[in-house]
Amino acid sequence: MKRKSNKKFNKRPQNPLNKLSLFQKSDSRFSKTCPLSGKDAPAVDYKNIKLLKRYISDTDKIMPARITSVSQNKQRKLTSEIKKAKILGLI
Amino acid sequence: MNFYEHTLIAKQDISTPDLEKIEKKYEDIITKTAGKVIKVEKWGLMNFAKKIRAYNKGFYIHYKFEGESKTLEEIKKNSIIDNSLLRHLTVKYKKLDTETEYFKEKYNNEKKK
Repeated sequence: MKRKSNKKFNKRPQNPLNKLSLFQKSDSRFSKTCPLSGKDAPAVDYKNIKLLKRYISDTDKIMPARITSVSQNKQRKLTSEIKKAKILGLI
Repeated sequence: MNFYEHTLIAKQDISTPDLEKIEKKYEDIITKTAGKVIKVEKWGLMNFAKKIRAYNKGFYIHYKFEGESKTLEEIKKNSIIDNSLLRHLTVKYKKLDTETEYFKEKYNNEKKK
């Protein structure tokens, strides 16, 4: 007996915007590696405002790690540094 | 002995001789309590992200020093009482980074204007 080829699934276009929900990750849009760890990673510090502003929403909320793909260790450090910067009125 | 960073925010309507007095005052406190000032950075007049006690701007002074718990207590005591200050923050570090200055460019740009 001949096996049916599953052409149906191959033909389906792989559009990154074709997602089920807003928070679902798609490979093409998000990098899976942490941008803050590694060899040439920038220093996470409360004085480095340029970097901290990237991880804040428009309403000054801290972005979740599932969107920014920051590692767990660095995310903990980020939140503490962002809060320090907020005390000094920098962000 | 540990390394610390301390930043002060002084009110905007303070005259320049008074600012220098404040800067000296906290330097003296550190040196008197067996501490050692490594570096002092003046970030100058900067805008706040939000209003702090009805002020839109403030003078930032940044210290990098070596000290013990005694120095921290003295700094905290004095800065809470001080009427000319708006906010203060001390952070403990294992290693101090004295080379990179994040706010140097901003300060120079404001001077030119």
